[in-house]
Amino acid sequence: MTRLILVSGKGGVGKSSLAAGLALAHQRAGARVLGIDVAGTGGLAAHLGLTRLEFKPVEVKPGLDALTVDRAKALIEYLQVQVGLPGLATLGPAARFFDALASTAPGVREVVTLGKVIWEVLQRRYDIVVGDCPPTGQVTGLLRAPRTVAELVPAGRIRHQADLMSEVLDSSEQSELVLVTLPEELPTLETEETLEVLAKEKLIGSTMVVTNRVLPPLDTESKGTGVVAEAASMHRSLYRRQQQWLQRLPPRKTFPYLFGLLTESEVAARLSDEWGE
Amino acid sequence: MMASKAIVVTGAGGVGKTTVAAALGVKAASQGKRTLVLTVDPARRLADALGVELGGRPRRHPELETLSAGMLDSAASWITVARRHADPEVADRLVTNEFFEAATIHFPASQSYAAAEEAIAYIESRKWDLVVIDTPPAAGGIEFFTAPARMSELVGGRLLRLLTGGRIPGRTALFNRGAKPLLRFADQLLGSDLLERVAQFAMDLRTTYDGVSRRSRAIEGHFRRATTLVVTTADPAPLSEAARFFMELPDVASAPKAVIFNRTLPADWVGAAIPPRTPTALADNLRRWEAEAHRQRDARNGFAARFRVPLVTIPWLTEDPTDRHTLEAVVDEASAWPDLW
Repeated sequence: MTRLILVSGKGGVGKSSLAAGLALAHQRAGARVLGIDVAGTGGLAAHLGLTRLEFKPVEVKPGLDALTVDRAKALIEYLQVQVGLPGLATLGPAARFFDALASTAPGVREVVTLGKVIWEVLQRRYDIVVGDCPPTGQVTGLLRAPRTVAELVPAGRIRHQADLMSEVLDSSEQSELVLVTLPEELPTLETEETLEVLAKEKLIGSTMVVTNRVLPPLDTESKGTGVVAEAASMHRSLYRRQQQWLQRLPPRKTFPYLFGLLTESEVAARLSDEWGE
Repeated sequence: MMASKAIVVTGAGGVGKTTVAAALGVKAASQGKRTLVLTVDPARRLADALGVELGGRPRRHPELETLSAGMLDSAASWITVARRHADPEVADRLVTNEFFEAATIHFPASQSYAAAEEAIAYIESRKWDLVVIDTPPAAGGIEFFTAPARMSELVGGRLLRLLTGGRIPGRTALFNRGAKPLLRFADQLLGSDLLERVAQFAMDLRTTYDGVSRRSRAIEGHFRRATTLVVTTADPAPLSEAARFFMELPDVASAPKAVIFNRTLPADWVGAAIPPRTPTALADNLRRWEAEAHRQRDARNGFAARFRVPLVTIPWLTEDPTDRHTLEAVVDEASAWPDLW
């Protein structure tokens, strides 16, 4: 069985870096991993040290492939391969028609995007599929898509495909959503709201909260002088504030604040070490 | 009299955009400019610090008369658009259509569009000298600016044009000869009559086209005349997004007037000497933050060299602003600002 791990969180909390770190950690542990840029922001590529990803999987390193969901290509693959309409290419107007449908009829875009992710899970070519997802504001809509389609489409092959997707998402052994947050006000509140929606609508098998950029305690009472004192006092007040938010929403796992790192791939490499622990 | 001057504050999520927008608004107001701050979903404490109760309509600050603040409503967006641009009867049918409800959730550009439409109405009302707009985070940044065009395209009925060969149809024309094989094909795939319901929705939506496209063009005009500012931190991901704004904003709005680096550490932490007998924990702490200050400085210099743009730094505040004076201090403690109002 291929496991699906989706990563989301409020904008700016470090979703892509943690998704890339998670994919790298599993790869190092010997799993065959596929990373998918579901959000289409390019963040995953940057954190894997690539300039861009394609719709076709590329090898990042042995055991780790990655791809991005290009909507137009995903739609054609969805209709031809997943739904099973051979010879769609000869139906030129139909392809255009469905592209228009995808941008107008609600839920289609999401079903096509999520469909690609779950299709890869069902192919069992990898042990783990890691999806770098849109922010929390949109991820509930994404996860809801198979149900939206099921409500609107009473029968037919698209309906069948949507039901297959729900099956994978609903399984707590197979599917997990990692919600990344920061020990700050807005990310904490938004994560709490998202958890509520996820629980109420049972949108995914299991959920895990992780908190990013957590500062270490300062193991001394002394104050120091000059610049030393300035840095210590700043650190202490930031640390105190973070602890309040950590207590309000206790995470399953915390990731440290990374000091002085310049590039996205450096950040992802460090975070993969943390995931490994 | 001309419409109000507008400042649009953009940047990645979580960098302090809303705080910067609010602080600039308070500063301008305290200098005597009649100022309106429009925010989207501010943190509770920031709303308290502004000192204006944020509801649907802008309200005036109880003491600082030149300051008003309001919240852009991004939730009821489609309903607002439908009610504003469609006949009452059509609007009723639209908002009760099953696709409409789903579309509200699934087409985020509609929220950005409604927010932009609302913001621009305040600019055109000329009640203020300056309107400071904080952009919605959910919109994915640049989408706030592209939303009008995308919204026009959507209600213009790409789907409908394909179904009907470009004519604005009566209900029967939907099932014209050209579309028939397609419809049969689609029915097979989707189940019966789904398409008819989509088409009804698309046709109803089409009636808002004239209104929406006219407003879209007006909104785009205001975006081009506005001053845009990009807020970022020196972290890699927000910086990449800031760079994207610098590359793409000139196409859809005005080129950014400055980049604002929030959470900046003191420059003199770089290379600072540590006095002898400093406890190890404190020395290590300074070294860590020094590495961070160093990285920040390199990131700033790199960005300034790449985009040749005025750079404003705001110190890293360990306490959130609690009232309008501490908000104003955010502007005062920053490095020099370009001329904004």
